[in-house]
Amino acid sequence: MANFILRKAEPKDVSDILRLIKKMANFILRKAEPKDVSDILRLIKELAKFEEMEEQVVLTEKELLEDGFGDHPFYHCVVAEVPKDKQSVEGYTVVGFAMYYFTYDPWIGKLLYLEDFYVMKEFRGYGIGSEILKRLSETAVKARCSGMHFIVAEWNTSSIEFYKRRGAADLSHEEGWRLYEIDKRNLLKMTSK
Amino acid sequence: MANFNLRKAEPKDVPDILRLIKELAKYEEMEDQVKLTEKDLLEDGFGNHPFYHCVIADVPAEHRCSLTDYSVIGFAMYYFTYDPWIGKLLYLEDFYVMKEYRGFGIGSEILKTLSDTAVKNRCSSMHFIVAESNKASIDFYKRRGASDLSLQEGWRLFRIDKENLLKMSAEE
Repeated sequence: MANFILRKAEPKDVSDILRLIKKMANFILRKAEPKDVSDILRLIKELAKFEEMEEQVVLTEKELLEDGFGDHPFYHCVVAEVPKDKQSVEGYTVVGFAMYYFTYDPWIGKLLYLEDFYVMKEFRGYGIGSEILKRLSETAVKARCSGMHFIVAEWNTSSIEFYKRRGAADLSHEEGWRLYEIDKRNLLKMTSK
Repeated sequence: MANFNLRKAEPKDVPDILRLIKELAKYEEMEDQVKLTEKDLLEDGFGNHPFYHCVIADVPAEHRCSLTDYSVIGFAMYYFTYDPWIGKLLYLEDFYVMKEYRGFGIGSEILKTLSDTAVKNRCSSMHFIVAESNKASIDFYKRRGASDLSLQEGWRLFRIDKENLLKMSAEE
């Protein structure tokens, strides 16, 4: 019979407590593989649904596969996975993801651009989002990026708070930047002139 | 004077690209913020994995403006980004024509070349940011069908800088 004691936690136990909380949440983060493409599309659609834009997702699994796992990847993904016994209500084990790519600032060089970032509702509160962001920070630093950029909708106050707690600055507010788009129709108009 | 040539940038263009980046930054009163070096531009743009692409506008010797002696007089820097709903996009990062060479349609031709590149690469659209104070640029783009997504959809650009990235990666 194992020799153990039970005692009240002390301040020195804090890092062990956090470690055990994470074990309870029990998830791993890993680089996405071609087999993850259907889960990635599912999570993209779930996030779009949250933004009430689900029908706007026209991307297919085939495109995600070609564009992410071909000779020249146009995006990278980190996925959060839980063991089978912790699967979601519908039976999914891939429960969160972040999609990112590298951009270039002509003043300071490489940046990591965070494009999509989502954890399934039933898996929130376990630190998965924080771990993902931490992993992305490491990736950015390793790749010699000067910073991480991303856009957030101005009404999304909970996301804005999440990022501000981690030191994010609102460049639209500070520097007046606005995002513009020239869509396919207008691009074609220009090419035919 | 309308004789100019648009072409893909080559490693030898790196000093001119940096010069034009600094000129554009100067116009935005931010010249001292340009930390990038020719070495960075060379490695990042012409190595195994290019992090950016450039279109260059140059003029032949006999058509150069007497005030400047440069042959490279304009550029656009772009790269490909990815929208999880629609796929590939062309992202226009920097776009500048030297003052003495404006009004000859060089900017329009650059944008047309980029549109062509976007369509050939099966991009769904072109994205870029513009400072809200930059009325001249906003009009230039709106004339070509650009829409303000910040206004329409409320998007705001955020940044987590290196200091804060290091803080996060060091956290337990």
